[in-house]
Amino acid sequence: MSRRRLFIVAAGAAVLLGGSLIAALVLTTRGSTGSPSTGPAGVAEVAAMLRNVPQHGAALGSPAAPVTLVEFADPQCPYCGDWERISLPTIVDKYVRAGKVRIVFNGMSFVGPDSETALRTALAAGEQNRLWNVIALLYLNQGTENTGWVTDSLLRGIGDAIPGLDTKKMLASLTSATVTRRLAAAAALAKEAGVNQTPSFAVGRTNKALKLVQVTSLEPAGIEPELDAALRE
Amino acid sequence: MTDRRLRVAVVVLSTIGAGIAAYLTYAHITGSPVACATGGCEIVQHSKYSELAGIPVAALGLAGYVALATTAAFRSDVVRAAGAAFALAGFAFGAYLIYVQVALIDALCQWCLTSDGVLTLLVPVTLLRLRSTA
Repeated sequence: MSRRRLFIVAAGAAVLLGGSLIAALVLTTRGSTGSPSTGPAGVAEVAAMLRNVPQHGAALGSPAAPVTLVEFADPQCPYCGDWERISLPTIVDKYVRAGKVRIVFNGMSFVGPDSETALRTALAAGEQNRLWNVIALLYLNQGTENTGWVTDSLLRGIGDAIPGLDTKKMLASLTSATVTRRLAAAAALAKEAGVNQTPSFAVGRTNKALKLVQVTSLEPAGIEPELDAALRE
Repeated sequence: MTDRRLRVAVVVLSTIGAGIAAYLTYAHITGSPVACATGGCEIVQHSKYSELAGIPVAALGLAGYVALATTAAFRSDVVRAAGAAFALAGFAFGAYLIYVQVALIDALCQWCLTSDGVLTLLVPVTLLRLRSTA
């Protein structure tokens, strides 16, 4: 076979093979990507805050971080929303992104039925390592307690706005046995830790006993001294 | 460069690529954590773009690298053309996956980028092999 013909055959086969792979991936993932114009608020801010920060289930940050911060929060609790909006971006930038602290979200659903739906969604997203994206967007789109604000439409909008998240898969897992078990485990941990208000936090060295902390300020300065003290231990 | 050297280069590069793809396939199937300096490996690994018709994309890459390494064992024109086609197709698919990571998933996977680098090197090597046959 001539050299020219060999190149043509190789190029033709490459176009066919590469094109088929790309077309197949485009077609199988089409339909739930991007930020719809009528989507939830805060999509860009949340994406920027969490960009390239590792997530493993309910944990945000490097598993090797020396300090662990557990956040006990209800998705309907307004103060929890305030903390997420006011302090979380700073804590992520200053401590989590630097590999010093990992934050574990321990969801609670004592406010009402909307809390449980929201938490189940977050836990289902956690199976795709996107729990923090869902929680952050829920807080940025938080409605009045127990008014039915956690609608299917809101959850779909949040899911579709999160890069790479399979919304269909997430919504299909809401009532799964795994999500139900994780919900119960989170409630049990909160009870065991003696949490009686939200947001509450537990801080300490990773894989060691954590100390329950009640913050007196929703500003970053409310939790930073605890994180700094744990880092110095 | 002699065909022998080019064949060695194909085997070495394909083995590196296959090692990366095997690691990512294992992590995808078992759900185990991925060592990652860029922080986005697991986000990419768990995204909807990580599978094609239920098959992990990393497993497709593994199959591609094995096929590429196999082409080094043969000297026929057709197999050399197949080697160049695999490398070019892999390079194009890898380029699309970089676009997906940057524009759609908003996270970067260092292993995927390394694999793309390997494919980028395999393109000229397989094309040179093709050229040396005529």
